[in-house]
Amino acid sequence: MPPDLSRRGLLGGLAEVGALSAAGGILALPGSAQAAPRRGGRIRVASVSSSNADTLDPAKGALSTDYVRHYMVYSGLTQFDAALRPQPALAETIESRDRILWRIKLRKGVRFHDGSPLTADDVIYSLLRHKDPGLGSKVKSIAAQILSAERGGPGEVLVRLAQANADLPTILATSHFLIVKNGVRDFRTGNGAGPFRCTVFKPGVRTVAVRNADYWKPGAPYLDAVELIGIPDEVSRVNALLSGDVQLINAVNPRSTRRIGATGRHGLQETRSGLYTDLIVRQDRAPTGSPAFTEAMKHLLDRELIRKALFRGYATVANDHPIPPGNPYYLQGLPQRVYDPERAKFLLRRAGLLGVRMPLYASPAAEGSVDMASILQEAAANIGLNLAVNRVPSDGYWSNHWMKHPLTFGNTNPRPTADLLFSLFFKSDADWNESGWRNARFDQLLMAARGEADEARRKQMYGDMQVLVHDQGGVGIPVFISGLDAFDRRLKGFGSIPIGGLMGYSFAEYVWWDA
Amino acid sequence: MTEAPLSSLGDIQARPPRAGGPRLPQLSLSGWIGLALVVFWTLVAVFGPFLAPYRVGAIVADDVFEPFSARHLLGSDYLGRDVLSRMLSGARYTVGLALAAALLASSTGAALALFAVVSGRWIDELVSRLMDAMISIPSKIFALVMVAAFGSSIPLLLLIAAVTYVPGAYRIARSLAVGLNQMEYVQVARARGEGRLYIATAEILPNMINPMLADFGLRFVFVVLLLSGMSFLGLGVQPPHADLGSLVRENTSGLGDGALAILAPAVAIATLTIGVNLLIDSLPRRRRRSGGEA
Amino acid sequence: MSATLVLILRRLGSAAVTLLLVSMVVFAISSLLPGDAASETLGQSATPEAVAALRAQLGLNEPAHLRYLHWLAGLVTGDPGRSMANNLPVREIIAGRLPKSLLLAGLTAAVAVPVALAIGIFSAMYRGSRLDRALNVMTLSMVAAPEFLVATVAVLVFAVKLRWLPSLTLAPEHPTLGELLRAYALPVMTLCFVIIAQMARMTRAAVIDQLTQPYVEMAALKGVRPARVALIHALPNAIGPIVNAVALSLSYLLGGAIIVETIFNYPGIASLMVDAVTSRDMPLLQACAMIFCTAYLLLVLVADVCAILANPRLRHP
Repeated sequence: MPPDLSRRGLLGGLAEVGALSAAGGILALPGSAQAAPRRGGRIRVASVSSSNADTLDPAKGALSTDYVRHYMVYSGLTQFDAALRPQPALAETIESRDRILWRIKLRKGVRFHDGSPLTADDVIYSLLRHKDPGLGSKVKSIAAQILSAERGGPGEVLVRLAQANADLPTILATSHFLIVKNGVRDFRTGNGAGPFRCTVFKPGVRTVAVRNADYWKPGAPYLDAVELIGIPDEVSRVNALLSGDVQLINAVNPRSTRRIGATGRHGLQETRSGLYTDLIVRQDRAPTGSPAFTEAMKHLLDRELIRKALFRGYATVANDHPIPPGNPYYLQGLPQRVYDPERAKFLLRRAGLLGVRMPLYASPAAEGSVDMASILQEAAANIGLNLAVNRVPSDGYWSNHWMKHPLTFGNTNPRPTADLLFSLFFKSDADWNESGWRNARFDQLLMAARGEADEARRKQMYGDMQVLVHDQGGVGIPVFISGLDAFDRRLKGFGSIPIGGLMGYSFAEYVWWDA
Repeated sequence: MTEAPLSSLGDIQARPPRAGGPRLPQLSLSGWIGLALVVFWTLVAVFGPFLAPYRVGAIVADDVFEPFSARHLLGSDYLGRDVLSRMLSGARYTVGLALAAALLASSTGAALALFAVVSGRWIDELVSRLMDAMISIPSKIFALVMVAAFGSSIPLLLLIAAVTYVPGAYRIARSLAVGLNQMEYVQVARARGEGRLYIATAEILPNMINPMLADFGLRFVFVVLLLSGMSFLGLGVQPPHADLGSLVRENTSGLGDGALAILAPAVAIATLTIGVNLLIDSLPRRRRRSGGEA
Repeated sequence: MSATLVLILRRLGSAAVTLLLVSMVVFAISSLLPGDAASETLGQSATPEAVAALRAQLGLNEPAHLRYLHWLAGLVTGDPGRSMANNLPVREIIAGRLPKSLLLAGLTAAVAVPVALAIGIFSAMYRGSRLDRALNVMTLSMVAAPEFLVATVAVLVFAVKLRWLPSLTLAPEHPTLGELLRAYALPVMTLCFVIIAQMARMTRAAVIDQLTQPYVEMAALKGVRPARVALIHALPNAIGPIVNAVALSLSYLLGGAIIVETIFNYPGIASLMVDAVTSRDMPLLQACAMIFCTAYLLLVLVADVCAILANPRLRHP
């Protein structure tokens, strides 16, 4: 194993217990405890949404259904294990001395579904195409740090970054960086090196993928075929599972767990991830920008109530910074901010802001934000602050409301590294610096941590950043939301990879059907 | 057997108003039931919010989807809020919006129809085609676009519902007006040199009121249904408030448990719409003048 | 018959006008929407420069009226353009969805129209009776239940509890009749709930209207059996308003089926149009609107032709 992967692997191991811990009597055991896999079977999987904008282009994946489809059809240079450590996949090794120039050695004998061999050119094309503004890649800003990618020795790719980043192997495991065939522009049929071949792809209707017998992992995958559909209505999705029309669903409402558990034929998988919905208090506006108002809003979030009433316990109380307890860089011992309306009232009165009327924007696009807004509104009304909830439709929310008003809600999917979370959402000049928070000290720490070779010092830096965001940042993060998947118990080998539900969207290559 | 249907005609046929005495409406039993339901829901709409035992957004129950209890007569909802309080506050949105939108739709439709009919062939054709164009745009998708464009607010919901049902009211009103326009007394008025406005308002309009009222009842039901359909798509009254349809929608996850939180608002919608229609069905109506579909 | 021909010709002319109006209305209201296809495609990851680049790629920098005229010119020459969301030809996307919508609408109509007519005629024949009142309250309750509730309860009972029918409508490519009926039973039932009531009530009103005409009352007095009075004497003259009500109700089945399509995961054209709205996919949105409008105009035309053909006075002038 290359030094970088093993180093990250060791560190990640510390987090394993936290990330995989399961709560509740009907939760499934992690896949490892089950019998040997068997070949065969065909399952139908229903994810939350599917629309005419569905895509087979990994660069444009926007929803869980897309990610699942992409992980079925394509393989990446690396892939996540159950503790979010990057493991070698199409790359046999990824090495770097300075974390700027990376040498990627490709696995030999890998073939795309059309029979053509995997080459360095495919990898170079797959990495560099994100930088083309006309493509509309979702990770264009992350890919911007890749200065160049070129052929090295035989079967080798050299990647040069703009500045040192120890997390490149992790970044390459995300679905957007999956490897496509050199030069491909038409994504009507996906030609990847993934565990399944796509045989039917109808956007907004269904995807059917059949087992790729030439998959580079010997023996895998086990299922003969997977059919993927989207059912946006949660009640209908659960009904489809209970009636036996589908065998696996994601995004289960905590209120449905009782029904699912009662059948005895269905299992439930909780994935404790870093997913959060946050209250954004713009720091560059009046009056929300005042430290007193920001702190008051954080004290008005009744985290216990949100965890219990909204998520029925399937959530972990958070502390106004984005690093979840399972993360290796999580800072132990930071005092928990609690629901304290008296303190909030005191702060607001001192700032002369009691009695003002503030609009608060929420949308179904940000999971749970509408109900969170209702709970916050009620708490605010009790101390004489008038928050007017403005629920706006999902479409257009991200481009027209998110971060655009003094008080909005955001929703952040789990990111595999602390660096990504901080650089994307908290750095002063980040595009998605949600609250417009500017802190020079934070930015310095972030840059320094990215290139820091000493793990203890790196951890110390990330700890300091968590304190800064917790104390001074402009977002209130009440809870980390657990993902809930439900499945037919005949489906074996299902577990959790905490980058998202459905085993980090890559269940297809791990599970088998035992019937 | 021959007598049965004919003898029951009296139920539906117009009866002459009783001479003297207080002018109580002549209603059948179902008419009285309808009237009682309508009065009940009107009272709830007006006074409901003052009677609510808890605040509409307050989480007061220990568990979600609680059944009937002394503290929560209609149980608790998906967050643990009091269902009775939410219904008492929510009824006014459904009743008020539906009433206002149906009135607006029916009166606008009738006014447009009168205008089109008395204004000659070209204007008639143009307005009719515009109405056809509007009717063929699916109402829920129209609502989706409007809410995305302007944000959800009570005036906008009212406007959406009204605009959606104007073309339907227009079709009915126009077919009535076309028929009436051919009537002798209208022709006489026209020959007399009366203006278009006079002909429309004094000669034609009074004779279309009754059938338009019956149509109004159906529009009312449709608006209630449109509102609940919109709640399915996540459009509607702003939280923490909710109209009756949204109450049904937001509690669907309790359906499997037969929760009161979903049954109560569903029954409320049913009684409201049935009440309005029973009442209108049994209103004494005049014999329609021959209209004919155009 | 010449009356029918004239009607059809006139309708073709005004249909063109209506379609033009619809496209203008749709274009006008959709240009009110915040954001465009570029910003919606990028979603949460939209940065100003990324949006600008994609906008140029999609040709969204052209002025709005020019884009409309281009689209219109394309449509007239038979090319409705390409979807902005996935760059597939609109024609191809529609071709995959429209037949499904038509099949669902057709099956629903095949069930709903006879049932509604039967209910309407029966209640008219026995108007005022207990049967009439029961049918009245029944149809009203059917229309009063929110569509999503009816669908969800039906799934809960027939798919989850009894396991008789599938909860999703995943029609196989070449189904046998049995498979077809099983797959479509629940969505058809739900849609019937929505449209039967209106058709039945209009039928009842129209038939009663005729039954109270002097000529029918005369026939009844002469001792003709009530069923015969209703079916032979009253019904033909009531056909006009009835077919119009039927046409209006059926036009709901294409665009209004959005809730049923969502709950049963049925890939019809209404959910396609919602997708087009949410992704600001103008060519696709326009194409869907054109289809709904055409379907509506066709239904109204058929209704009017039926009315003329069925009316003895018009057949034998």
